[in-house]
Amino acid sequence: MTETAVYLQPAFILQQRKFKETSLIIDALTRDFGRVSLVAKGVRKARSKTAGLLQPFIPLTMSYLGKTELKTLTDVEIIPPFVQLQGIAIYCGFYINELVCRFLHQYDPHPDVFAHYRKCLSCLSDTSKIETALRTFELDLMDAVGYGLQLEYDFHNQKINPLKKYHFSVEQGLIEALDGQFSGKTLQALKLRDFTDAQVLVEAKILMRTAITGHLQGKPLKSRAFIKNIIKDYKNE
Amino acid sequence: MQKKGLLGQLIQNLCCLPGVGPKTAQRMAFHLFQRDRNGAKLLAETLLQAIDKIGYCRQCRTLTEDSLCDICADSSRDSSVVCIVESPADAWVIEQAAIFKGHYFVLHGRLSPLGGIGPDELGLDLLEQRLRTGAIKELILATNSTVEGEATAYFIGELAGKHQVLASRIAHGVPMGGELEFIDSGTLSHAFNGRKEV
Repeated sequence: MTETAVYLQPAFILQQRKFKETSLIIDALTRDFGRVSLVAKGVRKARSKTAGLLQPFIPLTMSYLGKTELKTLTDVEIIPPFVQLQGIAIYCGFYINELVCRFLHQYDPHPDVFAHYRKCLSCLSDTSKIETALRTFELDLMDAVGYGLQLEYDFHNQKINPLKKYHFSVEQGLIEALDGQFSGKTLQALKLRDFTDAQVLVEAKILMRTAITGHLQGKPLKSRAFIKNIIKDYKNE
Repeated sequence: MQKKGLLGQLIQNLCCLPGVGPKTAQRMAFHLFQRDRNGAKLLAETLLQAIDKIGYCRQCRTLTEDSLCDICADSSRDSSVVCIVESPADAWVIEQAAIFKGHYFVLHGRLSPLGGIGPDELGLDLLEQRLRTGAIKELILATNSTVEGEATAYFIGELAGKHQVLASRIAHGVPMGGELEFIDSGTLSHAFNGRKEV
């Protein structure tokens, strides 16, 4: 394999774990090369200048090179300005990181997902917009990786009627039903990514949860269980 | 690579230490048998005793051979201020700096949604019991300045708020003797956001 060198590639860190004494293995989402694995050598030293930068949710440019699947990080810089996630938004950030890790294959370029991801992070910093940001990202991610929801027509190829109700299943899509969980109005709003109606947000959450769980092939999201646990703990007392 | 015999086994077992690979382990093993047999015996005995006796302090979860560690047992320390740290090593460092005269609480990790470490693994139920008694007036959150450390600090902060206990986060910014020219932009932005009136 020939040596590849990439310079100043916009990227976000999705996940990192310790490697040997002073190194890190990083799972990064780059704009033009998709999800890549990098080893950052010697960054966990006392006087390391890059340790502070190698954190999730910070917009970075990365340079790396290598012949094998695991590339070596050579340089990293921050792209100012950036907003640091606070409080509950951090947990939501972990959630979208896990989604990206699960739905994107390594080295599969998705500049569109990168753009959606960046937009979602900036929306997450506004606490009132968290739900909207998450639902928008989920819908966009599903569209980008080929699991997009058909929100205009139902299973029998009828146009979605805003006054009717629908059931949803991953295999068949939307099916009209009197006792359906999702109203046609919600589905039309989702198509337009319009979350001004509170009812739309509630239904969208259930719909996206069903869709995402269906595509995970029985392996649940760790961050979702975790957030649920935290919220439960918090409400208990 | 499977080595035969006791010596091979010893070398392999020494590899469980951080920073020790096969070569270092080999050097250690040969040193112990060629030069320092007494030292080896002493090491083995101490290790056995330590493994047997050292456990967690029932109040702060740090490592100790008693049921209550020296810090928690010391009546001259302020028990109403509790410093939350990720590991016993962190508590040790703060103790050496001699800047803090309260009690500690050791988490032995940090909340990690993707690693599957939740509040239960960190002994937060124990901390909550202590918060509930009302004996704690302030929590100092000294978790690491990483995203996971922040997430942990936020969660414990909320927990403290629920029990009307003051929670504060240690400051991040320019290190002592640090020159601005050489500081990364992330640290600088922290330093600016947390600036103080002079």
